[in-house]
Amino acid sequence: MSLAVEAFVSQIAAAEPWPENATLYQPLREDQILLSDCASSLAVQAYLRMCNLPVHVSCRSNAEYMSPSGKVPFVHVGNQVVSELGPIVQFTKAKGHSLSDGLDDVQRAEMKAYMELVNNMLLTAELYIQWCDDTTATEISRPRYSSPYSWPLNQILAYQKQWEVRRKMNAIGWAGKSLEQVYEDVSQCCQALSQRLGTQPYFFNKQPTELDALVFGHLFTILTTRLTSDELGEKIKSYSNLLAFCRRIEQSYFEDSQAGSSSRGYSKGPSLF
Amino acid sequence: MAATMELRCWGGDWGLPSVHTESLIVLAYVKFSGANITVTPIDWTWKTLTGTVPELVCQGSTITEPAQILNFLRKQRFNADYELSARQGADTMAYIALLEEKLRPALLHTFWVDAENYANLTRPWFASRSPFPLNFLVPGRHANTALSRILLTKGESPLHTITEVEGKIYSEAKECLNLLSHRLGTAYYFFGNTPCSLDAFVFGFVAPLHKASLPSSPLQSHLRQLDNLQRFCDHILNAHFSSHPGETRSPQPVQEMVDANLQKLTQLVNKESNLIEKMDDNLRSSPQHKPLRADPRPSLGNDKSSTPA
Repeated sequence: MSLAVEAFVSQIAAAEPWPENATLYQPLREDQILLSDCASSLAVQAYLRMCNLPVHVSCRSNAEYMSPSGKVPFVHVGNQVVSELGPIVQFTKAKGHSLSDGLDDVQRAEMKAYMELVNNMLLTAELYIQWCDDTTATEISRPRYSSPYSWPLNQILAYQKQWEVRRKMNAIGWAGKSLEQVYEDVSQCCQALSQRLGTQPYFFNKQPTELDALVFGHLFTILTTRLTSDELGEKIKSYSNLLAFCRRIEQSYFEDSQAGSSSRGYSKGPSLF
Repeated sequence: MAATMELRCWGGDWGLPSVHTESLIVLAYVKFSGANITVTPIDWTWKTLTGTVPELVCQGSTITEPAQILNFLRKQRFNADYELSARQGADTMAYIALLEEKLRPALLHTFWVDAENYANLTRPWFASRSPFPLNFLVPGRHANTALSRILLTKGESPLHTITEVEGKIYSEAKECLNLLSHRLGTAYYFFGNTPCSLDAFVFGFVAPLHKASLPSSPLQSHLRQLDNLQRFCDHILNAHFSSHPGETRSPQPVQEMVDANLQKLTQLVNKESNLIEKMDDNLRSSPQHKPLRADPRPSLGNDKSSTPA
């Protein structure tokens, strides 16, 4: 049933052009947002900029609850609300903007495979480090996640979220992993990405695609966020072509906005320059 | 180097060496890399409840999970990925992630959550392979694990029921199969002419779907439309697991053989007729026999007029 509804919605979406007042919602940037949400949000913003679609970023403390799927970020376009990069890509495609039209079938298969790799490894690793590692969870994730709320709601919500994420890690078999193994997995994932990128400017040569947006979102956020240990960032820094890739996208697509909006992260750390 | 390694996994049926996806992945990789491993099925033992499957035991240390086992085998110099370039290695990782994310939930659903398949195929099979009284416990436990995994990874937070998620996971799985089919093309293996770990993974995921006789499966009917994936599975079964009894030949190789035979027969007939023409000519042109001029007997498509000696 939901598939028929989706098809219907995308037909309606196709009818209207992209409005000027499209808004992207994410949790509060300075105090609340966590690494994984920040990465997803930055990926969506990068993708929309690559498509040349204007979007206004709005930070709300209850963004997660407003979202139709429970995940941030989500965009409010016209009278539709779409969350997460995958559905947003399909939504913009229905409106006639697509970055991956020029790819043939084999390349499209590769692109989807690499996007799954990033989701499977990088995103899961980020969630693990935030919520399953006790030091990070106690010092950073729980305080930040529940900062807009007062006691006792902040304790309840933070522990509830932690319990949810740990259940998911259990189900996919990551609960038994040690932090070292997770760092090793991230390193392997970055190695795969680095080898695929090679010396090209983007993953599929001249034009950026949604894969570039996704990889940029995750890598840039990891590099500019200070956690309890710097090891994650160090793993990425050892691949110079990935660093150059992030710098290139930041310069091409984020330079025209104000200086503060692109170097995000609660560390107030420097940008890549 | 010659340490004996023992692999514990689920047994085989339906023409496959094992019906369990992870076990199948490891078995296929073992065949591709030429490792010497004794396979002990855990059927009818208490390991069906207590053991994690598949499990590789080597000199006292145990390794579980296909990825770890493959890493261990590579360190023991049984490497089927030796000839892959760096980029192909990266592609392998990406495609494995694709299989895990998109295909596994639908496979879990098809075998363990779908009521008809579970009642008619999966539960009887696993129950019959477990000793009493585990046959009451083992299938149920697997089914619960499968359901919770699907809901936790794919169920969006307000909707915790399985029906809303079903449509989405099946459409993603069909798309994944299409992508694999596009990538495979007309080749026998994914990278070149020798099988590697990606072939093992794809075989492990797709072969049970291909071979099991599922009463109701839209995913299986979708797979039936993708000839090259079916050919891929059958080829690996024939080439590497051919000592196993059971129905491993699909109609396609038979048809090809018939065509080849027909071609050979036609060539033979043509050769024969050429030979007869030559003999005829030799006979006509021999000095002992006067050529019979009168009848322009139609020779076998030959216009050569015989000259008298």
